[in-house]
Amino acid sequence: MAGLRPQPGVQLRAIAQLRWRLVVNSLRSVRGQLNLVSRVLGGSLVLGMGVMGGAGLFFVGLWATAHDPRWLALPFWIVFLFWQLFPVLASAFTQSIDADALLRFPMSYPTYFLVRVIYGTLDIPTALGLFWLSGLFLGISFADVRLAPWALLTIGLFAVFNILLGRMIFSWIEHWLSRRRSREVLGLLFLSVMVGFQVFGSLIGRHAKNLDPQKLQVLARFFPVAQALPPGLAASSLTHATQGSNSVAILSFALLAAFAAGVGGVLHLRMRSQYRGENPAGGEKRQTAAEKSAVRSGWKLPLFSGPVSAVFEKELRYLSRSGPMLFNLFIPMIVIFVLWGGRRGFLGQQTAYAFPMGAAYCLLVMANLGYNCFGGDGGGIQFFLFSPVSFRRILFAKNLAHLSIMATQVFLLWLGVRIIYAPPTLPVVALTLTWYLFAAPINFAAGDLLSIYSPKRIDYATFGRQRAPAATILISLTVELAVIGTGVLIAIQAIHYANLWIASLVLLGLSIGSIGGYFFLLSRIDGIAMSRREVLATELCRA
Amino acid sequence: MYIYNTILVYTSQNRGALCYIQKPVDSPAILTESLTRRFGDFTAVQDVNLSVAPGQFYGFLGPNGAGKSTTIKMLTGLMAPTAGSMQILGLDLATHLAEVKSQIGVVPEGMALFGRLTGSEYLNFAGRMYGLDRDTAAQRAAELLDFMELAAQPKTLVTDYSHGMQKKLAMAAAVIHGPKVLFLDEPFEGVDAIASGTLKAMLQRMIANGVTIFLTSHVLEIVERLCTHVGIINKGRLVAQGSLDELRSGVPAGSAGQPGEKMTLEQYFLQTVGGSRDSAQELAWLG
Repeated sequence: MAGLRPQPGVQLRAIAQLRWRLVVNSLRSVRGQLNLVSRVLGGSLVLGMGVMGGAGLFFVGLWATAHDPRWLALPFWIVFLFWQLFPVLASAFTQSIDADALLRFPMSYPTYFLVRVIYGTLDIPTALGLFWLSGLFLGISFADVRLAPWALLTIGLFAVFNILLGRMIFSWIEHWLSRRRSREVLGLLFLSVMVGFQVFGSLIGRHAKNLDPQKLQVLARFFPVAQALPPGLAASSLTHATQGSNSVAILSFALLAAFAAGVGGVLHLRMRSQYRGENPAGGEKRQTAAEKSAVRSGWKLPLFSGPVSAVFEKELRYLSRSGPMLFNLFIPMIVIFVLWGGRRGFLGQQTAYAFPMGAAYCLLVMANLGYNCFGGDGGGIQFFLFSPVSFRRILFAKNLAHLSIMATQVFLLWLGVRIIYAPPTLPVVALTLTWYLFAAPINFAAGDLLSIYSPKRIDYATFGRQRAPAATILISLTVELAVIGTGVLIAIQAIHYANLWIASLVLLGLSIGSIGGYFFLLSRIDGIAMSRREVLATELCRA
Repeated sequence: MYIYNTILVYTSQNRGALCYIQKPVDSPAILTESLTRRFGDFTAVQDVNLSVAPGQFYGFLGPNGAGKSTTIKMLTGLMAPTAGSMQILGLDLATHLAEVKSQIGVVPEGMALFGRLTGSEYLNFAGRMYGLDRDTAAQRAAELLDFMELAAQPKTLVTDYSHGMQKKLAMAAAVIHGPKVLFLDEPFEGVDAIASGTLKAMLQRMIANGVTIFLTSHVLEIVERLCTHVGIINKGRLVAQGSLDELRSGVPAGSAGQPGEKMTLEQYFLQTVGGSRDSAQELAWLG
């Protein structure tokens, strides 16, 4: 029997229909409907950014073509940098797409290539890049209509180059991110870059006065290199076309085409190897050493039972292997440096309260962990459910682990404030610690309840796209605002009476109530957890 | 007259300490009466009366969606029944959940692993959660890792284990405290022949030591080779229950087998759940 010959068009339509069905079917759940709403809102935002950016580049194109064509390089570089850098950074947040799903169908290589390129470009950077380039094209065409065909060709080729380059970079990132450890490293790198921007931004702002303008001349040395790169070539092609140097314009265009072909060739090599069945995941590196190590005994916390110690140890081991969670630990120090760098910041004149403010920030940061404390356990929740240990003790151990992290954070914060500003005064330290005594149990109690009522599976190894459910975010923010607001109000009253010790005493009194409330909730938590066990197992075991 | 013996159990009331309670020795290891579970209008399990004697290797069979996993979830405390009662080792699950949990081991469908621990850390953790002291937990963890051939990769996280390795680790965690009853939900699914052999060897050793094993599977060959007794559930109802020999000779009530004629378990199963269909008349275009 002769084999069927699937038409590429039919296959492309089938894939489009499949994606559509996935969207439609996702609307069956409330979460899917909320996602749709957020996508519509996000889409509107992207549309707005596209239109505004397009309008901006329209005027740049219009002005540069009419007055000084050398400036055409600027919009090309802006578009290029955004188009290529944004998706690379964003991909650090996400799991890779499984390309293997397509390979089991009788798909020709050109169709496979086309599908990977087309569906890979349905993203925000491409949409914005195309919007902006359209604006630039219109601007150039309005300034000189004779340039329109050449501008269309050049800008079109530049767009194709960007699409191919984006896919090529993404195919390597995809290959890289398929390994858990690489994903963690790249995620950490991304966060470090983001924080680095903030810290250096603050430092530059702080030292801007002393910057020697002569040093900026160094940048001029890079101009020839920039001109030989695709954005420079696209600009050069148009600049010389406006000046009537057609041969140079054509040469620049040809070089841009060569870049696009080169990038397309490298992309082809990756796609071809994937098409031939190379597993993009590559698999985790296996340990070859067959060395057996003796199993060490677990931790034993003084005063606490074996199961509490075991859960405590498990929590800290989990966190120590999580890039995002480790990052949380150092957030307070980073905040101190950022605030220090920005002298004009609101803290500039209020360094006396840097310690309590930083401590409040620590509590906010920890909400991410405490308000969905089973999220990282995933399928392990089943173990907790069929083990003979009560949820009261499991949650107590988890809270204890989180408390130890908070204590470390607060200590680091105290150290940072002491080194950078001045040692916090005793009344300020007492105010901060008594506020913690009051706020932490409330947070733990609310967090324990929400962890049971609104659980969501998260992967501690990856960054982003792991937001807690909307209800959890709303309630946690309300609780945080309430406890911080209470602390601030009490502190303001104490400052009014010129005696901070009053605030510490009041907070100490309130903390008795909050600690009592926390233990009362713990005494009831087993019944609540048992009544919610099916939801817990279903939500946390969800793949 | 009941003869009582004493077992060591772990209760939620005694704040983690081990205590002694008494139970009748001749009670079934697993007993359910009119066990029912509904999800809205859909009844997943209806009036199931199971009886598994101590030391039996019990295979719980059924087609996909028949109610196997729902039943095992109820028996292990992962899910509450809508109606009916359950007893494990003579203890009512509704009133003695913590005591029962300390006596059973479970390998659920999702394996219940903590992916970001190493194998030894996970086993250590599991042992201590079941009340073992630190040294005993560490010693048993080392023995189990060795037996399961998982000791060669001491620093690998569970999330990086292969599927078969994860199954073996889940099994090791389920037995580290020496359970009297072991519940296994599809333990051989996705496991290669080598890992499967290791698991079977361990299960047979446990049976020889008097442990009761309750296993769900839809791989009939495995059940036929390992189990001594079988229950078949279809559309939420227990349609057959008995020893393997009884079932294959067509004895049990409700079956349409020929008395005296030995069937394979597959033949009996298909006859009982009505799974045969004349495929010759359908899909004629298939090559």
